[in-house]
Amino acid sequence: MTDISTRNGEPVASTGPATGSPATSRKARGAGRRTGVRTHLPSTPWLFLLPGFLVTGGFVLYPFLSTVGSSFTDQRTLIAGKWVGGANYQELVHDDMFWTALRNSLLYMVGVVPLLVILPLLLAMLVQNYLPGIGFFRSAFYTPVVASVVVVGLIWVWLLDDRGLVNAVLGVIGVGPVSFLSDQWLLLISAMLVTVWKGLGYYMIVYMAALGNVPRELHEACAVDGAGPVRRFFTVTVPAVRSTMVLVGALASVNAFKVFSEVYLMAGPNGGPGGEDTTLVMLIKQVGTGLTGRVGYASALSVVVFVITLGLMLLVLRADRKEDA
Amino acid sequence: MRISRRAATATAIAITSALVMTACGGSGGSSGSNSDASGKVEGTVKFQTWNLKTNFKDYFEGVIGDFEKKYPDVKIVWIDQPAEGYADKLSADAAANTLPDVVNVSPDLATPLAKAGLALNLDQAAAKYKDEYLDGAWKSHEMPGKEGTYAFPWYLNTGPMFYNKKLFKDAGLDPEKPPTSYDQLFKDALTMADKSKGKTAMLANAPAVEDFGRYGVKLMNDDMSKFTFNEPKGVELVEKYKELYDAKALDSGALTSVAESAGRKFQQQSIAMNPGGAGDLKKYKTEAPSLYKNIGITPAVNNTGKDNMYVQGLMVNSQSKVKPAAVEFAHWVTDAKNQMAFAHKVAIFPSTKGSLDDPYFSQDGGTDEGRVRVAAAKALKTAVNYTPAVFSEQMKTALKNEVAKAMQGKKSAKEALDDAAAECDKLLQQAG
Amino acid sequence: MKSRIKARFQADGGRRPPVWQLVLRYLLLLAVFAVLVGPFLWQLSTSLKGPAEDIYSYPPKLLPSDPTLDNYAKVADLIPVWDFALNSLKVAVANVLTNCVGAALAGYALARLKFKGRGIAMVAFVTAMLVPVESIIIAQFMTMRDLQLNNTLTGVVLPGCIGALNVLLMRNAFANIPYEIEEAAYCDGANAWQRFTRIALPAVKGTIAVVAIFSFMGAWDDFLWPLIVLSDQSKFTLTIGLDYLHGTFANNQRLVAAGTVIAVAPLIVLFACLQRYFFRGVGEGAVKG
Repeated sequence: MTDISTRNGEPVASTGPATGSPATSRKARGAGRRTGVRTHLPSTPWLFLLPGFLVTGGFVLYPFLSTVGSSFTDQRTLIAGKWVGGANYQELVHDDMFWTALRNSLLYMVGVVPLLVILPLLLAMLVQNYLPGIGFFRSAFYTPVVASVVVVGLIWVWLLDDRGLVNAVLGVIGVGPVSFLSDQWLLLISAMLVTVWKGLGYYMIVYMAALGNVPRELHEACAVDGAGPVRRFFTVTVPAVRSTMVLVGALASVNAFKVFSEVYLMAGPNGGPGGEDTTLVMLIKQVGTGLTGRVGYASALSVVVFVITLGLMLLVLRADRKEDA
Repeated sequence: MRISRRAATATAIAITSALVMTACGGSGGSSGSNSDASGKVEGTVKFQTWNLKTNFKDYFEGVIGDFEKKYPDVKIVWIDQPAEGYADKLSADAAANTLPDVVNVSPDLATPLAKAGLALNLDQAAAKYKDEYLDGAWKSHEMPGKEGTYAFPWYLNTGPMFYNKKLFKDAGLDPEKPPTSYDQLFKDALTMADKSKGKTAMLANAPAVEDFGRYGVKLMNDDMSKFTFNEPKGVELVEKYKELYDAKALDSGALTSVAESAGRKFQQQSIAMNPGGAGDLKKYKTEAPSLYKNIGITPAVNNTGKDNMYVQGLMVNSQSKVKPAAVEFAHWVTDAKNQMAFAHKVAIFPSTKGSLDDPYFSQDGGTDEGRVRVAAAKALKTAVNYTPAVFSEQMKTALKNEVAKAMQGKKSAKEALDDAAAECDKLLQQAG
Repeated sequence: MKSRIKARFQADGGRRPPVWQLVLRYLLLLAVFAVLVGPFLWQLSTSLKGPAEDIYSYPPKLLPSDPTLDNYAKVADLIPVWDFALNSLKVAVANVLTNCVGAALAGYALARLKFKGRGIAMVAFVTAMLVPVESIIIAQFMTMRDLQLNNTLTGVVLPGCIGALNVLLMRNAFANIPYEIEEAAYCDGANAWQRFTRIALPAVKGTIAVVAIFSFMGAWDDFLWPLIVLSDQSKFTLTIGLDYLHGTFANNQRLVAAGTVIAVAPLIVLFACLQRYFFRGVGEGAVKG
């Protein structure tokens, strides 16, 4: 890090004070990124990163290495494991439950993510500008996020029950009763809706912070040009929050893929009738927790979940970088 | 490159340490040497209960205070765990060797702990107290395939069935004659579904392992090495239930139901019968007064003449540094006097010999609670814990999933039970 | 009053929108409100229902016929709810502080300082974010025991005190600040620390508020980890404590509902206090300031 990179051949000084006028700033910004002026001591970044590394390394990454290790053993909660090589991974491939769980986790992601990328953005726009009482609405919309999942589960089970409020309403218009809570697919869809419902406020916040960055002048300029709200949304708002959308998409995908609570609470600890709604994380818990847990096999499942989510994340980040360039 | 090599080294270290760590955690059942609990009764004893502090603080403080008075060299530290996550908490403590000295367990929790050598064998360490307890209760913490008994029996419970008289009447059934046999139960259930056009179901649960037991299905072979609930009787039970499920005599949520959801359905009056305990009566009174007016109580039907019972126990940590005091205290909490006092606080039943003959359990005092109490105490004298001690959470899941598949018609009852038994056998074998 | 509102409109967007737009927006707000908050009002209503009322009646009754605060008093009576809340508060506040500081530092390094190994550092945080927590909880507990931090509130805070997700959020925020400003500061002779504290940090207030609220929420709502670390009831956090309301022998839904409201209320208040920061993003903080 001691050398000054001059890959694009621009003299170092040009990234400095010459960035005053708006006309040159764009170019200079790109240049500043690439030239990598030495603006700090070599040790500085590591000092900034040290606390974060200590915590995540010591309490997350290191323990996970032991998970990886035990995925090659037949360890149980209270019984030491012995090396079994790839036996757990082999078993997994032949385990119907694993494939069911993988299918459900993937379906969950596909169902939930588009909604969680778009709806919270619209919600954030709805509460973005000042109106009398808007603070109340903003806080209120955040309620589902902060309530514990257990409570949320209870409430929704009650609402979606054969004799719940939703079916009562459907009954009035002559539909139903729809057995949301006993059909394999309806259960999964209900759980997805709860996830979306609970996640709206969460991602709304992320978007709210990002929308604050959209220069108001831009909106006004477009409005003066006669662009309607829909066009302004696509030409001004979306490009401005695009990187946030990517972030939200990535987070929502990973969270959806690792869904546990919603399905657990709606479909029961077994994961729906006959376990047909089990997700991967539910399976990990079923298999691995408790005093009789098969820690080795559960570790193998965890490693698989980890690898898949890592793949997803890298895919999203890569797509983002490509568009960026 | 440097980094990846370092990472590789770290992985290797981590794997090794993970293996070593777990090797230390479970000593694989060689507890023979440390079951000696003779010595002076002294030291600080950590005592862990499961969700009892909120309602019975005074009772336990009294029991502890009396013990500390009798043994001035002992200090009891009482910790109470909340309802959820108890098995997780025990797992972490057991793995990290931080289990308390005296621990509240049920047989399914005691079995794996005993197998890992973490529970004291009381046949040796507390042989002198064995005769104070009901034989059945003492034996409920025995472990198949391993000599000994690994927890003091503590309180017992059994549930009658509650039923909704109004729903019985609406369906044209006699509200004073609840079903007393399986045949009548199935018949009444079908009538109920038929008359209410599928709106009211009789029951909310698909058959679980204790239902198989009550129906007279042989659950395991004699040396407890294989599951046998796929015998013809078991298949018959599942087929009967499927008939109910198809006729909507079993609630539509039966395949995913848990105790709370079934209780809620009963309170919403969408099912007509539900198992419960004496404590539930109080709950119905406060939460669903309109149900409480119509409530009927009847013993759970069975083909065996024996009711199902639930057992709680107190295990002594075999790694404890204060074993003599821990054994003494565990016995103290579970002795006849203290269990009897506990039974007066709440609807539980003592596991000590003779306690159930107390007039408190034969005179109902004219209250509903009293009647439930008397009926339950009577049933308990012959009751058994149908759930095998080796039946783990994972096995429950396997059985429940296969039964659900049979009910949905995805598999025949026979096929489903064969698969469930095979899966449970596999899990049993892996448990060692 | 009127002039104040007008002033707020002006500060926010210039002119006051036409009436039909206002009406439409309020209607939309109310509709969303019904969907998102309605279910909780039911919980609130249950917590206010007296002992004579059926809480499982069908069709369900939305309003308590005889509202009472007794259930709240009873919760406080049954469990030391204020002690639990104080423990939760300690854990949550510590979690907010460590996360805001730690994530901001790391995020700044990842976004604005160039160094060899930045890519790997980034991957490390992404990796940490993706580790399934279920699989490491017992190993984490063993570490706490080795550090002799089991049964302490420090042990509860430590593993999550700098969340990888927060680091990535901060990185994203810092990466969005225009480079020009910092470059100018650099030319004025500001070192990395000065640029971080004086220029970059004020520009990402919005994201810091997001990190703060996520950290607070995470610590406040967590159940399994504190349960495993802590043994003494005197150290229990609110989520564990409230679980005692699911009694072994009796389970009073009204008390559970009251407990829920007690647990959620502080978070709503916190959010209400912080929400205005979400709108002070890069633009105001850095470009104008």
